[in-house]
Amino acid sequence: MTSPAYPIVSKDNDGSSIWSFLKNELRPKGKWFTPFNIISIPIMLLGLGLIVIRFINGIGSVTNLTQETPWGIWIGFDVVTGVAFAGGAYVLTFMVYILKMNKYHSIVRITVLNGFLAYVFYAGALLLDLGRPWNVINPIIGNSFGTSSVLFLVAWHFMLYMLAELIEFSPAIAEWLGARRAHKILSGMTIAAVIFGITLSTLHQSGLGALYLMAKDKIHPLWYSEFIPVLFLVSSIFAGLSMVIFEGTISHKVFSDQISKKNHHAEKGILHGLSKICAGAMFAYFFLQLLVFIHGKHWNLLNTPMGYWYLLEMIGFVLIPMLMFFYSYRTNNIFMIRLAAILTMLGIILNRLNVTVIGFKWDAATHYIPTWMEIVVTLAVIFTEIWIFRWVINRMPVLRDSPKWAAEENH
Amino acid sequence: MDGFTYNNIFETKGIEYLAILAFFAILIPFWLLLNRQIKINKQKSAGILNINTLNIPQGLFFSKYHIWSHLGVSGIARVGIDDLLLHMVGDVKFTGIKEQGERIKKGEILAKINHNGKLLNLYSPISGEIMEANPVLTHNPELLNEDPYVKGWMYKIKPISWTADTYSYYLAEDAIQFSRQELDKFKDFISTSVRKYSPVPSMVALQDGGELLDQPMAELPEEIWQDFQEDFLGKKTFNRKKNCDFHRGAQPENLI
Repeated sequence: MTSPAYPIVSKDNDGSSIWSFLKNELRPKGKWFTPFNIISIPIMLLGLGLIVIRFINGIGSVTNLTQETPWGIWIGFDVVTGVAFAGGAYVLTFMVYILKMNKYHSIVRITVLNGFLAYVFYAGALLLDLGRPWNVINPIIGNSFGTSSVLFLVAWHFMLYMLAELIEFSPAIAEWLGARRAHKILSGMTIAAVIFGITLSTLHQSGLGALYLMAKDKIHPLWYSEFIPVLFLVSSIFAGLSMVIFEGTISHKVFSDQISKKNHHAEKGILHGLSKICAGAMFAYFFLQLLVFIHGKHWNLLNTPMGYWYLLEMIGFVLIPMLMFFYSYRTNNIFMIRLAAILTMLGIILNRLNVTVIGFKWDAATHYIPTWMEIVVTLAVIFTEIWIFRWVINRMPVLRDSPKWAAEENH
Repeated sequence: MDGFTYNNIFETKGIEYLAILAFFAILIPFWLLLNRQIKINKQKSAGILNINTLNIPQGLFFSKYHIWSHLGVSGIARVGIDDLLLHMVGDVKFTGIKEQGERIKKGEILAKINHNGKLLNLYSPISGEIMEANPVLTHNPELLNEDPYVKGWMYKIKPISWTADTYSYYLAEDAIQFSRQELDKFKDFISTSVRKYSPVPSMVALQDGGELLDQPMAELPEEIWQDFQEDFLGKKTFNRKKNCDFHRGAQPENLI
């Protein structure tokens, strides 16, 4: 579903009924048989089937989860890693709206959209793991809040954060629908939603790490420490920005017909600036990890297989990309910035999986290995998110400029 | 040995403190190194106009009225406006005066640039026949400011006396030197003009520290533009009363 059949100028709802407009928008645009579609559609359909089987036959029929390892890649990858990558939204809105770095203004909307969809889908993926998913509403409505659990915080934060992201993104929806009064009201709420979102993010990024504080004896000492929440928070900064770089590069190519000339030229400058911030954040993170390591006094553990794995993660996927960001910032090497972003993202995936899955009960007799069905469901969730992402970008003014009436209001 | 004790820094917090000190010790050169070479780009994005933020390609012939000429392999020359002039005046719209096929002499008016109704005349640097006017400039005037040397060329002219016309023009290092001199002359011009035309020095064209802000002419009034035309682009504009007491040494010279 590439090349939209409609012209590039944003559509206004000029008087025609809103229902026929929405019906029209629901119709697919572009080709059906692109390589991405051909790969993703079967996986999504298969994933849907597997989810149905999971709910009929129970989680054991589809996954390798056991009483010993109750949390697998659905939580370790979809929820924990996905939320880390969605951290770009709070970092970027902080930079643009609070620090007034308006250079990055053109990518705020797409990053906020990405963050919003990430949280919606990964909170949804969380439901797959629950034995009694209908109880997920309890922390909210109060049928046993569960205030002694970190999950109470996570549940509330996810809900509030999704709301804040939706409000931040809603001016784009109003522009799409041509709702001028709504646009005015919602634009006024942006800064409040931004501040709220940033405050929430700091807590739930670290909160997901705090979930593992309880598992002191189960996580390998090189990854377990009382500082997991802080490390998760700091790493979410550059995880989010690396995701912005990666996804921005792809969007820039795929949706290039929507991007205005000015924003095309601005891309290099934006990537350049982001690499500096990533280099700085990763420098701080590396030293934090070093300090935590020294504090834990696990020197003798370095000479074990898990120790080598730890060194690989720290040196290969934190220190080296940090140096690459540093170098490419000074030499303005855009290719290396993108490469460093990919390495960083792999490092974050590695780190999160190490804490949640690989380092969890690393010394058990039988290790947890995800079934192919778990992997298919994970991919299906990600692909569905990308489909909706693409649907929104092709219709709403996310990458393309806002319609004139909205642009005038914003200034 | 009796009475010998030592503190194992691994047993105490000693090594952690050392790690923190090392962090700060490494942070300072890290930060300095990270920011060092980018100063020039920062100046550009901070909106400063000085010799470092200008683009002066070394292979073009620059006339002293800020028009560049480049002779192509086929013998057709392209001419355009130089980066310094564009940074001085700001975003302008371009109106070509001469049409394709017309003959032009060095010193004849070639085009006008216009910013919010303030006009400047541009005079041709070479004599010859107009082969083509850049068609993109009328639709995309921002191309002129974005890329004045490649995509934002003004005219393609077939020269009839290239060597004679460009003999006194600035090339390579001379062009950089000339731009330096023009910037200094321009700073003087701005401060004198602002004092002359507005008793209240409210329009700030110079930052504290003497650095020029980018596009300083953009907000200045019509009278200053007319003075600018005379001092920097050669020849007076029409309908301009010659002000006898205002000659700072820059004479509007004949171009022939």
